[in-house]
Amino acid sequence: MAPSRTSTVKSKHATNKSGIKNSKTTNKTRAGQNGDGVSKPKSAKSKKTQSKGVSLGSVTGKGSALNKLKKKRRIYTEKELGIPALNMITPVGVEKPKGEKKGKVFVDDRESMLTILAMVNADKEGQIESKMMKARQMEEIREARKVEADKRVEDRKSKLDEAKEGLRKKRKRAAAEKKEDGESVSLEAGTKPMRLRKKSVSFA
Amino acid sequence: MRPLTESETQTLFAKLANYTGTSLKNLIAPLDNGPNADRYVFRIQQSRCYYVRLSLSNLATSIARDKLLSLGTCLGKFTKSGKFRLHITALPILAEHARYKVWVKANGEMPFLYGGHIVKAHVGRWSDDCPEHQGVVVYSMNDTPLGFGVTARSTQEARRLDPTGITCFRQADCGEYLRDEDSLFATS
Repeated sequence: MAPSRTSTVKSKHATNKSGIKNSKTTNKTRAGQNGDGVSKPKSAKSKKTQSKGVSLGSVTGKGSALNKLKKKRRIYTEKELGIPALNMITPVGVEKPKGEKKGKVFVDDRESMLTILAMVNADKEGQIESKMMKARQMEEIREARKVEADKRVEDRKSKLDEAKEGLRKKRKRAAAEKKEDGESVSLEAGTKPMRLRKKSVSFA
Repeated sequence: MRPLTESETQTLFAKLANYTGTSLKNLIAPLDNGPNADRYVFRIQQSRCYYVRLSLSNLATSIARDKLLSLGTCLGKFTKSGKFRLHITALPILAEHARYKVWVKANGEMPFLYGGHIVKAHVGRWSDDCPEHQGVVVYSMNDTPLGFGVTARSTQEARRLDPTGITCFRQADCGEYLRDEDSLFATS
């Protein structure tokens, strides 16, 4: 299949005689020559283009057009494109900004050392302060908890004491009642105490 | 031998500030009021950090790096990961500027100097309002610095502690001069 038949090629530089149907130049020349839509008076300019078109037909003209094509294509250098030299990620530590001092930067003057020292001291002060605050808060919480626990223990103890007292009173009352009852019973029936004596068995 | 970088200076000061108060700035103060007064500087030689007079460090530049064993006072060494470890040799400097102190009784001196932590029963005195995990300098009852460590409890909590409870974790003690004699000054 000849390339001239393809309709998809839309080269900017495709000329009239290249055989490409949709190329700009062909369209232009057609519009100028045939005047399909708009009729333009034939001027010297159009004549010129016509004559050019004729000259392009010659063998030497074809060669010059090709040369033009080659000249027109701009060749970019790698710098202009900005493509990295190696197509890979450069680690942070490896890439160093240009124009900066190589190696370590020393701190030897008193002023910068004092600045660093002041920063460090302020930081430490803050840390100690926060530690103290935290310790104080914890201490308060601990104290409150201790007081609460003491109170609970005391409550429980008092409740227990009350219960004990109640039981003691009840027992006293019951004993007193019993005593009274026993006295009255003994008074009523004199033979009863004999029955209360437990039976015992003795060997030998 | 070289001066410290910014990050190294920060690490060193942060470590020293654990034990000392604001008086630490006197460490780098000039020795007199003259225009070219001598002062103390920090120098690194084979990962060890030295606190040395500037005039002495300038003289030391005439000695080859691999031949220079030590100069001034060794404060400690920088680890490979960039942290700083204080040595017992830094004790005179720490003791001079200490913020929190613990005094141990005579019966607690030897256990401490043999590498033990300080139990409550051995504490004679301690600074008030000392928080937990704070660097402290350990003294004997006659104010001789014996070493340094980190508090295990705050002062208030330590009061409630039983006599065998640890109040201070040992970090360095003078006994290391004998125990670590081989490695304390060896550079290789």
